[in-house]
Amino acid sequence: MASSLLAWSRARPISLTPAHVRQYAKPADANAGDARLILIRRALYPGNIRNRASPTGTWRPDVRQTIQRAIPSVQAHHTIERAWLLHRRLVRKRREAELARKFECMKGAMNELKRVDSRLYSEANKVEDPRARSKVEMEKMKQLPALEARAFDARIRGLFPREMRIPAETPSKNGWNYEWKPIERPL
Amino acid sequence: MSRLARRCERLSRNLATVASDPLPSTSSPRPPRPSSKPILYSSVILNRAPILTPSPTTFERAFYAYQQRIRRALHNPFPSEFYFKQGSLLEARFNSEERFREKVAWGPTYAKEEDLSPEAKAAEQAAMDQMALQEKSDDKLMPRVHPSDEARDYHSLDRKGRRNIYLIIQRAAEDGQLVWEFPQGQPVEDELLHQAAQRELYAHCGKNMDTWIVARKPIGMYKPSIPTTTSTPTPEAITFFFKGHIMAGQVNPEKFVKDFAWVTKQEIETRVRRAYWEGVKDMLSDH
Repeated sequence: MASSLLAWSRARPISLTPAHVRQYAKPADANAGDARLILIRRALYPGNIRNRASPTGTWRPDVRQTIQRAIPSVQAHHTIERAWLLHRRLVRKRREAELARKFECMKGAMNELKRVDSRLYSEANKVEDPRARSKVEMEKMKQLPALEARAFDARIRGLFPREMRIPAETPSKNGWNYEWKPIERPL
Repeated sequence: MSRLARRCERLSRNLATVASDPLPSTSSPRPPRPSSKPILYSSVILNRAPILTPSPTTFERAFYAYQQRIRRALHNPFPSEFYFKQGSLLEARFNSEERFREKVAWGPTYAKEEDLSPEAKAAEQAAMDQMALQEKSDDKLMPRVHPSDEARDYHSLDRKGRRNIYLIIQRAAEDGQLVWEFPQGQPVEDELLHQAAQRELYAHCGKNMDTWIVARKPIGMYKPSIPTTTSTPTPEAITFFFKGHIMAGQVNPEKFVKDFAWVTKQEIETRVRRAYWEGVKDMLSDH
């Protein structure tokens, strides 16, 4: 009886709680929350006492040996850097040359079209309003049920279609969709 | 009327900043001027864009490995006590993976092997096997090389995932020979060229493809040189090419289409006629 009385008195901090309030919850362990806070603090704010080689004292202990293993020599490092920049430059030049060739093709085609047929040329140069729906399309949309009308409306002239996919590391499990069912669209 | 037209043409030629010679100037005897209006054709260059990212070259892989080693040497120590609960299975797995990565980076002779006793190593391995069993999933990654690549199946749209592939069709030409070329046809009355291109694509290859003709403007043109025979002045035939993308579906060829193929730029060169290739090659993507 005395021991339980003693435990009860120790559990309730007498200064913080009034006597008429009952305490059913276990008293919170003073150190548990602290451990998590200590971990977070250590991760966010590394020590800054300047008694070690690295400025914030956060490098790995064998940083000197590992750096010497990673980088053969200053000259080698510079050579690798220059080789990389040269490689990037070659890739860039090849890409730019290909784009320039394609643009020249386009320019030649448009010049030829202008020489041959001015009506077709002016029609080719027309800028389409992506918001506009032609009469044919509006008629078509009235006949379709709601979901199909939305699918039909989703392909906007002059904008990239949603179905164009970005290249990925590995192909999809099902591969190419060969069983695609057509949606009738006016030309 | 014709004098006015000729004067306008001369004026426009003088004013044009982009000098485009309408007649081929390579041959020394001047080729006969075509008498009538040129015949226009619309053609579609249907492209299946790359499905896969490009593979890094050997040099790129070596450089990335070099840069990774430098970063590994210099980076802050990983606060594993923050990310993993002490003594958990995840932490054991991470530590063993990290030891492997260190060995890969610095060589097997660098690290001190006496970190773990054999019993501890066995216990760790058992723990990792148990984790692998629990986390087993059926999501396996597909290989980057498709079976149709090995089988050289030119009808497949899964082949050459890293490359741009284009649609060419084989049809019987006027002289009876089979020629490979892009699907083409003539626009009908009042039709615009890009509409004609879309219609001809449907006429040649069916409607079972989700295609998108990119723009109203052609991306290039092919004009076969007129033979220098002076018998009858033949009208020149100009083919305008339109870029299209295919997102789904497959070609359903009509009767007059003998064969079709989804091929890269280099494979097109081996199939089409030489003059056609010279006219078309600059519109296609190298990779």
